[in-house]
Amino acid sequence: MTLHKVMPFKLLSVFLCCLLMFSAQAAEREQPKLGHTLTAISKSVPAPDFTLEDMDGKKFSLKDYRGKVVLLNFWATWCPPCRREMPSMERLYEKFKGKNFVVLALNQMEDVDQVFTYTGELQVTPAFPILFDKDSNVSRAYSVLGLPTTYLIDKEGNIRFRAIGGRDFDHPEVQKLILRLMQE
Amino acid sequence: MPTKIINSQLLAIFCLCLLHTQVQAAEVTVQKSNASGLLTWTSKDNGFSIQLIQLLPDFVRAVYDKHGLPADEVERIAAYCDFGTIIQNTSQQQLSYRVSDWRYIDKNGKAYPVKTKAQWLEEWRKAGIVFAWTLLPGNGDFGIGDWQQGFTTIQIDRNEKFDLVYTWTLDGKKHQGKIENMSCAPANLSTSSITK
Repeated sequence: MTLHKVMPFKLLSVFLCCLLMFSAQAAEREQPKLGHTLTAISKSVPAPDFTLEDMDGKKFSLKDYRGKVVLLNFWATWCPPCRREMPSMERLYEKFKGKNFVVLALNQMEDVDQVFTYTGELQVTPAFPILFDKDSNVSRAYSVLGLPTTYLIDKEGNIRFRAIGGRDFDHPEVQKLILRLMQE
Repeated sequence: MPTKIINSQLLAIFCLCLLHTQVQAAEVTVQKSNASGLLTWTSKDNGFSIQLIQLLPDFVRAVYDKHGLPADEVERIAAYCDFGTIIQNTSQQQLSYRVSDWRYIDKNGKAYPVKTKAQWLEEWRKAGIVFAWTLLPGNGDFGIGDWQQGFTTIQIDRNEKFDLVYTWTLDGKKHQGKIENMSCAPANLSTSSITK
């Protein structure tokens, strides 16, 4: 293959990469501000149990967290609001570290390499478990229609609050809500 | 005399309708990206905000190719007039929407239903595709502060303008919005559109 044939391909690839970056940046610029309101579930329902693996193949089951408040987040690396809210989840997790609270982030239909690359780009790598819902079976059990969707589960294993779309999870109002559930 | 009264009443109704249409049109803003020349329509009305961003076919191809869809399915969705869509509950009440109630109206005034995520997923399922994300969810019950985003697909000639009529329900009352004179992203990003 001559250099002339290779160059247009390379140029086209660079152009498309730039275009994707522009589009992604534009999309993120136009995103709504992250709020902090969570919707109370009028009739709390038991959170469906699941067992999923993390990046190292370690298994995690929701039932193991009975007695703790769980922030259950459904996300993907390609989803701009998921990326925006994740640092706030890490700050929240650190804030309540050692208390009866945990964050579980359920990645949708991606592989370890994709998630590993993404977490490597973050200023602070999430310390909470990132689990792989490879066929989205768990998201279906929770009737998740779009990403991100987040549920707040009480110590008894009931879904109490829900957020559709990105949130600022370490906002004082959200912290207050979690404290309230921890004290129940 | 009765004819004159009826005419006056009709004129008053017409003026009110005209005024109402103008108010709705004033709610829509159109922005052009300096970087790409692509257009974004934004409308905020009665607790509901909708934003539609033109998507280039190459961008759509890249997204679905990355998610492992077969080439023919990638081409099929890229051939639609695709928009990145962000919808938001800006009210302090519960809000719901159903894409199956939304319509686009072509230049001849004919209305067509907007293809829903469920319809796409059914077609993808038949093609053996399990991927189920990126498209705007076909319906939603939004609490305060909830929002959602995803692709909206319109099946229309890329060069044809159209109007989008969308609906939502707030506190049990159904509302309708309209964005007029929408257009698809060009098939390719020309140099002129980047430098404009």
